[in-house]
Amino acid sequence: MAETKGKRQEYTTDFIKADIGNVSFLGNVHIDNIMTALIAMGAEIWTDRRRIRVLESLLEKKGVTRDMVEQYVPTAEEEATWKKEREVLVDRMYGQFARQGSEFNISSDWKNK
Amino acid sequence: MSNHFNRRTVMGGTAGLASAIASISNADAKLPKNDVEPRGKTGKLERLPTLDLEANDEFLTSFRIWVNSDLNRAATQRAEAIMKADGLDKAFDMPLAEAFKHRFNDDPVVQMRAHVWLHAQNLMWHNLKREFHGNYDAYMAEMEAADNAGPGKLEMNPGIEPAYTKHEIHIQPGGYVGDPFAGHLYHYGTNNFYSGRNYQDDLHVAMAANVPTPKDGKVLRILDQGCSCGQLTVALKQRFPDAEVWGIDVGGPMVRYSHMRAVDMGVGANFRQALAEDSKFPDGHFDIVTSYILHHEVTAEVTRKITEESHRVLRAGGVYYPIDFRTGTGGRSLQREMNPYEKTRNYASHRWNHERWLMQYNTISHADEMKRAGFEVNENGPASGFGGRGANVMGTKKA
Repeated sequence: MAETKGKRQEYTTDFIKADIGNVSFLGNVHIDNIMTALIAMGAEIWTDRRRIRVLESLLEKKGVTRDMVEQYVPTAEEEATWKKEREVLVDRMYGQFARQGSEFNISSDWKNK
Repeated sequence: MSNHFNRRTVMGGTAGLASAIASISNADAKLPKNDVEPRGKTGKLERLPTLDLEANDEFLTSFRIWVNSDLNRAATQRAEAIMKADGLDKAFDMPLAEAFKHRFNDDPVVQMRAHVWLHAQNLMWHNLKREFHGNYDAYMAEMEAADNAGPGKLEMNPGIEPAYTKHEIHIQPGGYVGDPFAGHLYHYGTNNFYSGRNYQDDLHVAMAANVPTPKDGKVLRILDQGCSCGQLTVALKQRFPDAEVWGIDVGGPMVRYSHMRAVDMGVGANFRQALAEDSKFPDGHFDIVTSYILHHEVTAEVTRKITEESHRVLRAGGVYYPIDFRTGTGGRSLQREMNPYEKTRNYASHRWNHERWLMQYNTISHADEMKRAGFEVNENGPASGFGGRGANVMGTKKA
């Protein structure tokens, strides 16, 4: 029989759930998950970029042109602040590449007790 | 929970909001009571309710295009090179289980294609679901307000859903019968499938234009079986404005959404929650019976029953025109025309994209089933426009 939620008639019934959460195509479910997260990240980047494009178009109608954005010269204070922010971003994203640990595995004991 | 718009504000129709909507889109200026379209329309398409969702969705659409072109090409080239090296490229008789044992199944590009194709689709579904369920009351109130509105009729028959219809086909959350927003999800989800080529129902309009008519030219009633979100039904009503046009689907939320959308478009198509194999229409009632990508989503047995039901509800001289993927011919299974890699890809679509009945569909010849049901069959009927194929099978009910 059709299901209801509260007083609302939903015209739904029970269903058989898909089980794609149980499959790994890439040999390790964590690699699968990282790939999925990368796709989601790409979508988030475009979502922000699209909003920026909208803002640029609206700003242009208010007299702030894209050329003005291109030609903008930051103040020395802005330059310094942005540089720090950029370095933090680089470290946050790529810091893990410097990690060299492969000495241990999950069952390893402490080296120095 | 998404909270990007407040229903009371939208429904209250504040002048500020109404003017904002009018200014940011080419939507109609009017905002009917309970019509939830906070960002207006682009032509026939109600824009997704937030810029972020729309942008996210368009990224995943572009991603799908890339996967289906460049990445797919790379995966196919690698699989073909491996098959050629192993002497498998023409091994059409290889059983599926054997095909899975070969090296292309461990190839990183082949497997990457399989993974990202499926999981990008899953992200798309859940982004949409989050939005519609996040604004549950507004969207439910919108459908409720349309249920009894015209110009077309809506008939709901809850409780008819057999077990075979309850799968999450295409991994759509809740499938066609289990989510109250199945129609919303299907409509926007398939816009992603169509790679942005169907935002204006373009493909459905083209297919409706290609549906053949009976030789005597009489078209008083048309049935669209498995109508999903009603795009072909609406396009048929627009092509045949004087005909009585019905779209039927087992999914209650699907026909409900179809009806609401038709009401919104001012198109007098009718919708009924019904099984294609048991439509409850009288004998000889229709001049044309059609369907679009229905049969590969039902069991082979149900395809036989639907074909018989189509014959029953058509009048003598009436036209049966099912549009779907190609099936085998002369009793030859489509499976037997696939190389080992194609077999494994087909299985992955069946198993992981939950095309639950695709493998059964591949085993039949729909033309043979139509002959068995009593149709005079033309295997070289007019092209439907679906899938870029040429001829489409059509049947005529004998006098």
